[in-house]
Parts: sequence; structure tokens; C-alpha cells
Amino acid sequence: MASIRISGLHHRYEPDAAPVLEGVDLELGDGEAHAILGGSGAGKTTLLHLLAGLLHPSAGTIEFDGREVTGASPAERHVAQVFQFPVLYPALDVAGNLGFPLVNRGWSAAAVRRRVGEVAELLSIAALLTRKPKRLSLFEKQLTAIGRALVRPDVALVLLDEPLTAVEPAAKWRLRQALKAVQDELGLTMIYVTHDQTEALTFAERITLLHHGKVLQTGSPEALYQQPAHEAVARFIGSPGMNLVDGEVSAGSIRCNGQVLGTTAAADGRCLLGFRPEWAAVGDRGVPVTVRTTRALGTLSGVAAGLVTAELDGKVIHVQQRLDGLVGNQARLLVDPSRILLYRDGWLVNDATG
Amino acid sequence: MQRANNRAWLAVAPVVLVVAFTAIAPLMTVVNYSVQDIFDVHTRLFVGLDWYRETLRDPRFLEALARQLGFSALVLALEIPLGIWIARCMPLQGRMTVAFLIVLAVPLLIPWNVVGVIWQIFARPDIGLLGAAVTALGVSYNYTSSALDAWITLALMDMWHWTSLVALLCFAGLAAIPPAYYQAAELDGASRWQVFRHVELPHLKSVLTIAVLLRLMDSLMIYTEPFVLTGGGPGASTTFLSQYLTSMAVGQFDLGPAAAFSVLYFLLILLLCWLFYTSVMKRGDEAA
Repeated sequence: MASIRISGLHHRYEPDAAPVLEGVDLELGDGEAHAILGGSGAGKTTLLHLLAGLLHPSAGTIEFDGREVTGASPAERHVAQVFQFPVLYPALDVAGNLGFPLVNRGWSAAAVRRRVGEVAELLSIAALLTRKPKRLSLFEKQLTAIGRALVRPDVALVLLDEPLTAVEPAAKWRLRQALKAVQDELGLTMIYVTHDQTEALTFAERITLLHHGKVLQTGSPEALYQQPAHEAVARFIGSPGMNLVDGEVSAGSIRCNGQVLGTTAAADGRCLLGFRPEWAAVGDRGVPVTVRTTRALGTLSGVAAGLVTAELDGKVIHVQQRLDGLVGNQARLLVDPSRILLYRDGWLVNDATG
Repeated sequence: MQRANNRAWLAVAPVVLVVAFTAIAPLMTVVNYSVQDIFDVHTRLFVGLDWYRETLRDPRFLEALARQLGFSALVLALEIPLGIWIARCMPLQGRMTVAFLIVLAVPLLIPWNVVGVIWQIFARPDIGLLGAAVTALGVSYNYTSSALDAWITLALMDMWHWTSLVALLCFAGLAAIPPAYYQAAELDGASRWQVFRHVELPHLKSVLTIAVLLRLMDSLMIYTEPFVLTGGGPGASTTFLSQYLTSMAVGQFDLGPAAAFSVLYFLLILLLCWLFYTSVMKRGDEAA
């Protein structure tokens, strides 16, 4: 287990190719469960390869426990990885697969057997130890691959590259629970890469959102939800994502379509107004909107509640609210004035505290 | 109970007919010859299994059989490891890969008798590049007079001709291994030998099965190249089954014994391939 510090990491695969990572900075505490979230092409897998030592960065440094490992080989770093699909050695049984990294490091047969037994117990795969990978389900295979990543007691960092991708949907939840339990029990430093925000939000203490090779924000799941530092984070996190509509600031007032929605200390000028669906309400006051659909999702204090989809200046917005009193499709939108987020050139310019 | 509708079998009829005319009928003709003594078109005598008994007691058949098995074992033992090694040395992608593939494919495109002619000249101690070079080095080498030299030349020629096939199959197998397996092995601290043993070899199992089967069948049937290169000599030292069979059937018109020989030969190839295939498959099931 180790704390990790990444500074100014750049990477390009060919000297004249476009950079895959551009100045990534990241710090992880010892024993932290960290998720790296991003769409395809964000540079997630490249970042993992750089951490594992399978690739070496074009620029920047990586430190484990304050010791620079930027040029070190995978063997020197004590990093383990779980891949998107279960990577097992077909000729070895489960016990052989689990023990493989230990045998390679010259452990005695008895010590290997003892450690493999412990890990198998931890993951509840002790009954499978004599099976060959061919006779395991995808879930059991991936569990074995996870076990192989955990087997070295001196492992500095465990990398998980979308480990639930290949698993049957019904087993995803079980595997996630198993991973979380292992993390809690062993206190390993783990980096979990995914494009699925639910996986990231449930697994990690802190999340880093990677977008086109840049870190847009690192923070707790709640911080990413409440205070997205960049409009791409606002869109990515949440389901549906944050509403972003055109507006402006003039003389300390936040305006949208001529209506004042709140006040701010931010400088005058055009900006995007961001608000979560539950921070707003469609009713009889505020900015005129056209209601397209309403979808009841249940009741709130005895009143039908759900999701309202409306249009503002041609942009679709979602609002989560009570559905009574909505008549016709012409209505008005009000947003909690203390929670309106202002984005200029993509970045958050006010710090609304809700 | 519902009556099964068997009309679909009619759709198979044309294929059955073609196979009957091209494979079953000729094979049965051979079986028919093998149990009769034929003097001319109208005079024949049913002899039962006599020809089979005679063939199995024929020392020349048994010697050819032993040589045949020895030759197959030798070329397999040389070509399979060499093919794997060549495939592992090839770059997985890039311009060099294409160059390698083309060079490897060339020997496979050369007709067998041409291969024989090429080597007959190449290995001649007086004018052949290989033969003259070896002779110039002071090694006494002559494939027309020394049985050992003839065998070495034949084995080299077979490797020259067929190692490419094994290498190409293995290359296809290696190219299909996802990079994650190599990455995992590197993170797990595996040595180069372990990467070969635990990552590459298991993934090559099915292509190697095909490669061994093809080389086994083909080497058991080898005829043209030794016929051109050594003519079965010196003496009978490179006379393999097919060559002995041809000399019986075409040279001496011993149709009965030749037919019995053919059936035995066919069954032998079938048996060896079946033994190999089932043992591989059974091992696979146990390993599962």
C-alpha cells in the first residue's frame, strides 16, 4: 500500500501524434479507493498503463510514497491490475493462478499455499481452487483475477480497468460488493477506472473526472454532484445531468431571458446557468418555458411527483418536482437562487453554496 | 407422438451422390481388388484376407513402414518447435510483418516436384550450392551414396518446404492473443519462459493441433519429393510407404497386394491422426 502522487503527466504514443494525456495531476492517500471516470478516449487506460509501468510518460513524474517510480518497471513498482475481461492463465487452476505472482517472486510452496488460502477465503472462492479457468463462470473468473491482484501482501497499488464490463449484469452487483468489502478489509490503495458513474459513485471515496486527457475535477462524489468545476462534469455526473441554459450576469444579477433569477458577485457578461433537476420548479413564476412531457415517478408528501421535461430557448431541461398544478404547456421556471452555478468558458465562476 | 418429417434428408441426396461417385465407389473398388487375385478382366479369384496377411509379413513393407514412421516423427520434431520459434520472432504488425508473411508463403506455393528438383541440384556435391559448400568445408557429403546424407537432405528439404506452414499457423495464433495477457504476465513478474509456457502455448493449442495433424498426414503420404531427390535410395534407405506402393501397383501390376497395401496405408494414417486428435481433446477435457 502506498500513497501516490502524479504531477504534470503528459503522454503521446508517437512523437508527432496528438497527446493522450495533457498535464494530469493527481494525489491519492494511502489506502484510498479512487475512481477515474471518463468517456471513451478520455485517456483512462493510458493513465493506468503509466501507473503500472507498462508505458512510460512523455513528461511528468509518478511517485509512490514519495519515491519517484516514473522510469521503474512494473516489477519494481509492485502494482497489480484487473483487466476489462478476466485474464487468467488457462493451463493453471484457480490456486495456480492466484499463486502465480508469489511463485514468480520466489515464495516457498507452503507460504504460497497459505496465502492463496487466505485470499480464496476472503473472496469466497476456496471451493474453486482446483478448477481450471475453463470451468468457471465469467463472475468466478473475474473474482479469481481480482484475487490474483490482491495476493501480494506488499502490493502498492491495485488498478481496476472497468472490471465489471465482461461480467453478466446479474453478477455485477455481487462483484462490486466483493470488491468494496475487500477494499474495506485490506485498506488497499485502489484505482478504479470506469465510464459508469454509478460504479464510480458507489466504489470510491474520491473521484477524478478525466476528459480529453485532462483532469477536470477531483473530489468526493458529493462535491462532483453539488459543485461541478466544469460544465462537462456537470453534464457527465447525474442522471439526467445538470441543466445548462444561456444567461448573463449584469450588475450582480443573474438573468435569463430578461428575468432575474438571483444575485451573484461574479463579473458581468454572458455565461451558462447550471442547476440540478431538483433545484428548480416549474410553476407560475419565473422564466417562461414550454412543457413537453411529464413523467410521474411516485409521490412526494402524498402528491404525485416526477420529472418534467421542458424547453427553454430551444434547450431541453429536466426538473424534478410535484406534478400537481401543472396545466397546459406554457409555464414558468424558478431556480433556487442560492444554487445557480455559473459557467464561463466551461469553468465554474461562482461558488454557490447550497 | 408426432411423426418426424424426414423429407429434409432429400436435400442431402445430391451431396451423397457426388461423394458416392468420387470417394466411396473408388475406395470400395480398391477394397474389392484387395480381396481378389486378378489375372485379366475375366479371370479372378477370391482370396479373402490373404493379400493383407502377405503384406503384413512382407519385410520390405515393414521396413518402409518403419522408415515412414521415423521420417514423420523426425520432421514433426523439427518443424513444430522451429515453426513456433519463427512465429515468435516475427513482429506482430508493421511493414516487416508483411515481408515475413510473403517470404514464408513462398515455399508453400512451389509445386512438390519442383521442390525435389531444386534440392536435387542444391544438394549436389559437385555443382550444388549447399553440397559444394559442405564439401568445400571438408565434410564428406553425398546424398546419392550415403543413407545418412540422404536422410539429412530429405529432412532439410521437408523443413524448407513445410516449416512455413507451422510458422504461419502459429503466427495467426499469436496475433490473436489479447495484449492484456502479456501485460498481466509482466505485472505478475513472469519470466520470458513463463510467458511462453502460460500465455502463448495455451493460446496456441488449437492451431498447433491443426499444424501437427496437417504435417502428420502430409508427411505420412510423402512421395514426390523423395522420388525426385533420391528415387528411394541409396538402396531402399529412403523408400517410404507411398513409393513402395507405387512400385507395386504401377511397376509390377500387383493390383491385389497393392490394394491391400493401400487399405492398410489409409487405415494407418486414419488411426494415427485419430489417436493424436483424441488424445489432445481428452487432455483438453481433463484440463477443463
